[in-house]
Amino acid sequence: MDPEKLITILTSRLGIAVQSMDAMKNDDLMIVVDKKHLITAAGTLKNDPALGFSTLMNHLGVDYGDSMAVIYNLYSPALKQKVTVKVYLDRDNPEVPSLERAFRGIDWFERETYDLFGIRFIGHGNLKRLLLPEDWDGHPLRKDYVYPALYNGIETARIDMMNETDEAGEPHV
Amino acid sequence: MLNIYGNIFVFFVAGLLFVFLTMALVRIVAPRRPNREKNKTYECGEEPVGSGWLNFNARFYLIAILFIIFDVEIVLVFPVVVRFRYHLLQGNGLTAFIDLFVFASVLFLGLVYAWKNGYLEWLRGVRKQLRVEGRVTLLKDWMAEQSRLQGDKNA
Amino acid sequence: MLERFNMVNRLSPDANMVLTTVDKAVNLARANSLWYLLMGLACCSIELMQTGGPRADIDRFGSLFRATPRQSDLMIVAGTVTLKMAPRLRLLYDQMAEPKYVIAMGSCANCGGPFDLSYSVLRGVDKIIPVDVYLPGCPPRPEALTEALIKVQEKIKKEKYFLKKEG
Repeated sequence: MDPEKLITILTSRLGIAVQSMDAMKNDDLMIVVDKKHLITAAGTLKNDPALGFSTLMNHLGVDYGDSMAVIYNLYSPALKQKVTVKVYLDRDNPEVPSLERAFRGIDWFERETYDLFGIRFIGHGNLKRLLLPEDWDGHPLRKDYVYPALYNGIETARIDMMNETDEAGEPHV
Repeated sequence: MLNIYGNIFVFFVAGLLFVFLTMALVRIVAPRRPNREKNKTYECGEEPVGSGWLNFNARFYLIAILFIIFDVEIVLVFPVVVRFRYHLLQGNGLTAFIDLFVFASVLFLGLVYAWKNGYLEWLRGVRKQLRVEGRVTLLKDWMAEQSRLQGDKNA
Repeated sequence: MLERFNMVNRLSPDANMVLTTVDKAVNLARANSLWYLLMGLACCSIELMQTGGPRADIDRFGSLFRATPRQSDLMIVAGTVTLKMAPRLRLLYDQMAEPKYVIAMGSCANCGGPFDLSYSVLRGVDKIIPVDVYLPGCPPRPEALTEALIKVQEKIKKEKYFLKKEG
């Protein structure tokens, strides 16, 4: 489908929820949505008969250094179109409503994002750590993550390589 | 005549010896070092949660009973087959055959009864109920429906 | 039972010719029936599966895979051990019956491998369990795993149970 046509349809259905809409490569369309309007936007994208973005392909979190974001990749089998929904969050208190009621399969994706970034999903039924052990300290994929010295008596970082840099001049850990 | 059972006795004792001698040898020779972790119930490496003993479904009792009945039937058939040769030589093989046939058919009737009443299904009576509700179709009904639709399309 | 009554590991080899043979026989039986616990954690487990497959068959050495530690006497740690998996691995090792052996297969089990700078990887499985044979490779070929198994067999054949161990 023509990206312009898709943009017009989406603007007409989603209305004020959308902050910006740009075409990306690979026939993708990036929609930046405000946090307050995420649930209505996701509901419209999923349930509207003209749109029908009922397939959640992927969900992930990003840490940009000064802000964080969550990204949802949706697909519509009816229109055969992909769309990317992005929500920017602030770093101090990253919270976003959970889309678990709309897309049941997002359960473990949101748990993974919580585990690695610390982004809380409000309304998620079971927000626990998924990949790391239950008693782990911190959220590793944040840019300001500091390795804990010991985890139950085992070193988590290569202490002997902490202050060295590799051939390219990048620090090891 | 009784000493023919001596063969069976020897086999029986040898079988018992095979099992119990090896178990005794293991008990004597093998090291035995139990500790707390080793004695825990195996739960793929996790700390065991709940009891290690489970209740078994009562339906297995039914399956076991049916198995016992037909197993005993087979065991009873074997000596008859051996004697069948003796009767054949004497000329009344047909009598022995009818004898065995009646015995097997009585038990077979029992199997037919169990089958028809749904004792062989895991959930008794469910298939009939699902058919009444229309959630399960018999293959022949489905094929009839398909051929009727094909016929409609052709016409 | 012999262990409890202190009747093992006591006699010197020249004193008792019979027990040398018994020792050899028992070791031969143990070495040629090493059943291994499937501890395939990552990519090395694919090579472990192929080593059990038809081309490089370790079933001809008497080894077969068991899913439970109660029936196995060899643990082939194949793959990266994360800090989350480590306590479970230790418990499974504890639940195996003596005499038990461990092969650390692949770089990740030896020393953390390509992931040794990660925050959640155990740098070598010998931090938590005693290892008999270290098998390098990423992943090691099935032939290499067969050689590691043969090395464990050689180790077993040299063991003394009834006779006195040196040192």
